[in-house]
Amino acid sequence: MKRFTPGAVAVQTLLLLNGLVMLYPFVVMLMSAFKSNAEIFASPFALPESLDLTNIHRILDETDLATYLANSALITASSIAVLLTFGTMAAYAIARYTFRLREIVFFFFVAGLMVPLKLAIIPLFIQLDVLHLLDTRLGLMLIYVAMGLPSTVFILTGFLRTLPGELEESARIEGASEARIMWQIMLPLARPAMVIAGIQNAVPIWNDFFFPLVFITTDSRKTLPQGLSVFMGEYNTDWGVLFAGLSLAALPIMICYIALSRQFIAGLTAGAVK
Amino acid sequence: MRRQGLWIAALLTPAALTMAVFVVWPMLGAFRYAFFSFNGLLPADFVGLSNFVDVLARAPFKAAVFAALWHNIIVFVCLMLFQNGLAYLIAYALLKQWPLHRVHQVIVFLPVVLSAVIVGFLWKLFLHPLFGLVNAALALVGIHGPPWLGNESTALGSLIFVNGWHFLGMAALIFLAGMQRIPQEVMEAARIDGASDGVLLRRIVWPLVAPAVTIIFILTFIGSFNWFELPYVMAGLTGSPGGATDVLGLVFYRTAFGSVSSGLQDFGHGSALAVLMFLFIAVFSAVALRFLRRREIAL
Amino acid sequence: MNAASPARRLLLATLAAAGLIASAPARAGDITFWTWRQEDRAAYTELFKDFTAANPGINVKIEAFEAANYNTIVSTALAGGKGGDVLQARAYGGLELVAKSGYYLPLDTTNVPELANIPPAALAAETLRADGRVYAVPFASQTLGLLVNKEVFAKAGVTPPTTWAEVATAGAALKAKGVTLIANGTATPWMDEIFAAIFTNPMLGPDFVADLQTGKASFSDPRYVAALTKLLDIRAQLPDGFTGVDYATGQQLFLSGRAAIFAGGSFEIANFRKQNPKLDLDFIAPPAPTAGAPQYVTRFFDGGYAVNAKSPNQADALKLVRYMATPAYGNKFASLLGNISPIKGVVITDPLLAKVSALGDTSMPYITLAMFRFESPTGSELMSNAVQKMMGGTETPQQVGDEVTTGLAKWYKPFQKN
Repeated sequence: MKRFTPGAVAVQTLLLLNGLVMLYPFVVMLMSAFKSNAEIFASPFALPESLDLTNIHRILDETDLATYLANSALITASSIAVLLTFGTMAAYAIARYTFRLREIVFFFFVAGLMVPLKLAIIPLFIQLDVLHLLDTRLGLMLIYVAMGLPSTVFILTGFLRTLPGELEESARIEGASEARIMWQIMLPLARPAMVIAGIQNAVPIWNDFFFPLVFITTDSRKTLPQGLSVFMGEYNTDWGVLFAGLSLAALPIMICYIALSRQFIAGLTAGAVK
Repeated sequence: MRRQGLWIAALLTPAALTMAVFVVWPMLGAFRYAFFSFNGLLPADFVGLSNFVDVLARAPFKAAVFAALWHNIIVFVCLMLFQNGLAYLIAYALLKQWPLHRVHQVIVFLPVVLSAVIVGFLWKLFLHPLFGLVNAALALVGIHGPPWLGNESTALGSLIFVNGWHFLGMAALIFLAGMQRIPQEVMEAARIDGASDGVLLRRIVWPLVAPAVTIIFILTFIGSFNWFELPYVMAGLTGSPGGATDVLGLVFYRTAFGSVSSGLQDFGHGSALAVLMFLFIAVFSAVALRFLRRREIAL
Repeated sequence: MNAASPARRLLLATLAAAGLIASAPARAGDITFWTWRQEDRAAYTELFKDFTAANPGINVKIEAFEAANYNTIVSTALAGGKGGDVLQARAYGGLELVAKSGYYLPLDTTNVPELANIPPAALAAETLRADGRVYAVPFASQTLGLLVNKEVFAKAGVTPPTTWAEVATAGAALKAKGVTLIANGTATPWMDEIFAAIFTNPMLGPDFVADLQTGKASFSDPRYVAALTKLLDIRAQLPDGFTGVDYATGQQLFLSGRAAIFAGGSFEIANFRKQNPKLDLDFIAPPAPTAGAPQYVTRFFDGGYAVNAKSPNQADALKLVRYMATPAYGNKFASLLGNISPIKGVVITDPLLAKVSALGDTSMPYITLAMFRFESPTGSELMSNAVQKMMGGTETPQQVGDEVTTGLAKWYKPFQKN
């Protein structure tokens, strides 16, 4: 534990202030979930006039929330699982081995970060149609995996390549297989980076409604943001309902993060062992 | 050696294959549009590089593209300095494991999980000229705040600020992950030598988090030049007011996809612009990566 | 790709079992209707019930999409040979883009005899100028003018303005009571185009439109520049910090009675009534330049119902579109949705809508939409951006006119001669 110098107090104060700026919009968001449009625009920062559950009720009545939530969870979780598996494998190969096309392979992945996949919406649509993946959750998931691979490979390569080589070498001398070295020795050290890559991708996947809007038409396969887009009208968006829905939607991912933030403590101690 | 080659190939194949089928192949199909004139939504004639020339050198694209590019550059520089600079300091503060650091770590990161729709709308409320909290606070100290998002001189800055609010946590987290990998002994030794926090931050931590810097620099660079969602939500497809917040992502999107109430879909020019943006970003990123990595290796 | 390979079938079966994919066979007798009006789903369900009653065995499935992405969703699906059997289509340039691509089935009196029920002006909005064929059955006309909160005016003892002189006096009288005259801000570009059209059209008159068509006038014309200059006066009547007030805020300022007038379209009526059922709403024409001069409203057609050219259920789809062109449909459409159906013989029962419909007799076209939204850069893009700058004070009316004219001269032939 550190002692409290005036400087430390000042930093703490700044952190608290920063925390306030970070958190207050969340308070407004939660309050808005209980307000009508009229109230949001009349007194956006005041407490809601009453704990009115109309917005929540409308979501429950007008959309199939449970189904959408389940679909979003299924799609996001499976995308991230596959993404991290494929991405870590590729990043490990690029980061820990030297082979002839290494730089080119690395740039092949990174280049994926720079292209606007939305432009390819028509070719993608046709591609999915050919593969019989239109209007399926698997199709959506594969697109998300492909979309997320560039940043995953990039972030993980960055962290993996700076891991110390001695551990790897000594394990190799002891005759451990490459797979074993990767799985048991190197990857545990990369956990914080995996959390970062996972979250960096989970958030956009969880919040995306563009690709589902184009590719999913069957109601029972729709995702949560897509389902909530019902409240974005042509001339009038129901902000109260949207806030209620999106606040609900943000909860699971917040909880995930809070749970995962422990990984950083774990990462810290792992680093200290070295 | 042979077996290692197979092992490497096995590691790379699933990712490369997925990318090839769902990104590279469709993207090549889309980039092909750049060389065609369009009749409605269908490619008509092969026109060579004409769409590229239009985008770079002819009205109405030229003015919009270069104005937008300049805005992108401003965005990148500001995000690097302010968003990532602050993130660096916050990460260092978190590293010290002061009381409540876990709470701060969670708080700083929370905005990252929100969608741009929510973030944009919330901050439009905060920055609103009639009932916004920001101007209400300024009024307390006797300042009549401008309509932040409606004023050509403050709109872009406001968007950059909101972007910082949204993604500060991501940068802080990457820095933190990098800092945690610095061996404790190194820090302790420097401290015993009497190094202050300022010296530590500049001389010890900064070079040692080089890999994190590389990641953040490149992600911020690519993110700044593909910036789309937040300006779209907060300033609309044309970068209100009067194009003051127009960025390449918006120009590309409204060229390619049009908009419900004003523009028409034009895949030819949209795709040409996308190709140019890709080349621009790819070349600069490649150069930056080379430079940044040398910094890492020089350690 | 060998669709019958056992390995592939096994893979598909496994995935289906895992809940990730599932095949949904389309039922015979089902057709799908695609719309961007998510808020009208209930009304369409009601409307299609009548259709199914008259055509047993044909059920209509409604797919409603988020409006801002509708064009992209539709053009993607159509390019992939999919999409609804009947699709809600845009009008003017938005229609042409898709019709030109061959994605919509051309309609005429042989496959849709009910087209005879529709006035030529409405059909023109759904016609591809290049081949002169109709591609969609128009569903509504929209009128742009001023939505008025009568209660606010009554309370302040002020009458809604009919001339520009009255705009100033009414504005001052309301301001004294703490009410803003006009709710609109300029932060939403597409509303700036509408806003400019509403207030400049009465000053321009039909002669100006004719001159634009022949190339005798452009937007640099003194008449247009003078109208824009006049428009600048209205800034005094807008909310504080209006450059930062967007469309949604403007609506709410009006609905809550903090502003007395919302410059907008008849499409707001149903929306406003739903949000504030107690609202005492009126719709009036914009102010005339001088007392006694005609107060032109601005009128345009919203869109239509088109048949997917690749629909496997084309016969049934045509039946639906024929039904959608009948007065019976128009009547029910108007009463359920509070919109003005252009179909001949439709009786508008709602008094306010009847008034809007009557105002439409003294109308100007929505110039930037009806004449200049056919190619890029569109008049709409140019106008909304330039007017936004002008209202913010960074561009003069003359610059706006010149900028729009130069931009359009790229493809609008009559301007190239100038």
